[in-house]
Amino acid sequence: MDFFLQQTINAVSLGGTYALLALGLAIIFSIMGMINFAHGELMTTTGYALMFAGLAGLPFVIAAPLAVAVAIGTAMLMERIAFRPVRKGSPATMLVTSFAVAVILQTLFQNLIATRSQPVILPDALAQSVAIGDLTIGVNQILSITITVIILVALNWFLKRTTLGIAMRAAAEDFSVARLMGVRANAVISGAFAISGALAGAAGVLWVAQRASVDPLMGFVPVLKAFIASILGGLGSLTGAVAGGFALGFIEIFLTAYLPEDWQPFKEALALGIVILLLLVRPNGLIPAFNIGREKV
Amino acid sequence: MRKTSLGLLAATALAAAGIATGASAQDVLKIGAASAQTGGLAPYDGPAMEGFKMAVDEINAAGGIGGKYMIELEIIDIRSDAAQTAIAAQELLDGGINVLITPSDADPSFAAAALATEAQVPAFSPGASSPTLPLMGGDYMFANFPGDNVQATVSASWAIEQGFKNAYILYSPDTQYTTLPLYFSDVFAALGGTVAGQGTYVIGQQDFSAEITKIKALDPPVDVVMTAAYEPDFPAFVRQLRAAGITAQVIGSDGIDSPTTFSLGDAAEGVVFTTAGHPTPGSDLEAFFAKFEEVYGRPADTIFAAVGYDLMKVIEAGVLAADSVEGAAIRDAVAELEDVKGVTSAITYKGTTGMPVRQVTLIRVKDGERELVGQPSPDPALVPAPRMQ
Repeated sequence: MDFFLQQTINAVSLGGTYALLALGLAIIFSIMGMINFAHGELMTTTGYALMFAGLAGLPFVIAAPLAVAVAIGTAMLMERIAFRPVRKGSPATMLVTSFAVAVILQTLFQNLIATRSQPVILPDALAQSVAIGDLTIGVNQILSITITVIILVALNWFLKRTTLGIAMRAAAEDFSVARLMGVRANAVISGAFAISGALAGAAGVLWVAQRASVDPLMGFVPVLKAFIASILGGLGSLTGAVAGGFALGFIEIFLTAYLPEDWQPFKEALALGIVILLLLVRPNGLIPAFNIGREKV
Repeated sequence: MRKTSLGLLAATALAAAGIATGASAQDVLKIGAASAQTGGLAPYDGPAMEGFKMAVDEINAAGGIGGKYMIELEIIDIRSDAAQTAIAAQELLDGGINVLITPSDADPSFAAAALATEAQVPAFSPGASSPTLPLMGGDYMFANFPGDNVQATVSASWAIEQGFKNAYILYSPDTQYTTLPLYFSDVFAALGGTVAGQGTYVIGQQDFSAEITKIKALDPPVDVVMTAAYEPDFPAFVRQLRAAGITAQVIGSDGIDSPTTFSLGDAAEGVVFTTAGHPTPGSDLEAFFAKFEEVYGRPADTIFAAVGYDLMKVIEAGVLAADSVEGAAIRDAVAELEDVKGVTSAITYKGTTGMPVRQVTLIRVKDGERELVGQPSPDPALVPAPRMQ
């Protein structure tokens, strides 16, 4: 039972990070109909911001929000420089643009910072844990779960209670009609990128806090996981992205926990197999966006 | 890339000088390196090629190999990608190189090995340690690092000597190198230890909480955890392992001989790993590191710089013995080399299948610094046969 509980906590913690990442992709997709593959590079940017802040001697409590702010700024710049000019292009154009942005950023990191991975100075507290009964919960995991919950609650409030949030939801439903109602496209899209940057930044801090190093290509794995999670949840659906993220976390952790040793080498393949099975049953994802297939922008 | 072209320029200029003093055009040894200067293997290939270039420049400054063969070096970055390795290797081979350098990992090296064998050009990987590389890579493929099976024999024997009895291994089937713990498991069991469990991970997995919960649930608790995970997996794993309150001895291998390991603070304290050498006072390696700092203006932070330097020494010895720059002749000469004096260790290829016999060093992380545990010679009877897969 303890084993099961402990693994459940592990799954919630990992799933939470995946959920943040998938949400970042989903929020852009819901409005622009674009998968932003440069999302991972926003995490890498966060990582480098943490690294430089650490080298400058800033304490983690200041460095972390600063790093998230850097990610938000980068995301908005990304939109302004790369995506706004192709906003009216086909989905394929936007997809390829996002790949180009990702590769350009990776190359910049390699040439301007370092090709090799750089250590990030973290407080020792992050490598400790709290014992609750027979359970051991890493400070890192507590941080991950808390941040995920806070962000989900805050995002929910933002989308339901603020003008920009309501405009964004309207734009996600039907961008043309929303514009006719006086919603400004630039503000909405810029806002969506800012939120996606914040989500990438928060996930980036959690990711780097776990690995204690940052390298130019580090964004690839997380963006891939986020992509799988958002497809599993239902592309463009925000609740779906969260569900997909947690589902992927649970699948990965519980396969590792309960698969017999001989089967362990195949766990990644099995996890993807389960995702495919789920998609066969629910082709539009776990919680699909209701306006799936409608014209965007 | 700027550094590469400068090195190339220097090599070409020196070669041109060689021509001017009467050496003929065929007296040039052309070395092409399909090397991972960026990406996941850059922590190994970057320093390896820096060390390699030092040796090239020294030899050229002294008038070439045996005063006869000037060295020309061309490096192409393969971005730690196997497909790029094949493309770069083909390009270099088409350019008429005499010796090919492949990346510091067996998997991309395989992509180049077949091409090199076909072109009858000897190929060397500076840092790949899988004993299967020269076996499956063909007659022209050589490795240059203590083999995984030998490293595992050394670390497993050490663990048994320390009185550890109950081990857990964590490996990844993704690459040859990350399966090293399977050799450890064989030797540890052969010496009377118990392997209580084995877990697998995916390279780049990052979250090890599920594996660690399993390790923690083992009864009796394990006293040693062995893994060949390297960056970014190893730092993540060891931090999470310590955070979970597991105090078992952690044993790693050469992949964690990098600055990140020594900057992890408490989490990595006490970790023991196998690698290719240690700069004991008065050793050649110490002198090499001093020289490296002189040349590059910063310390060499891993053993791989010295390993790259030694690789050029091996090629030099091969060309000297063959007295030719022809690929097949160099290959045959290298296969018979004995006790080549490298800065890390003496290196012997005679009697092997292309995996050199050389010293293995055990290092402990202590206060963020390296501490020499020992440089034991493994018992040959214990070394497991290469695991073909």
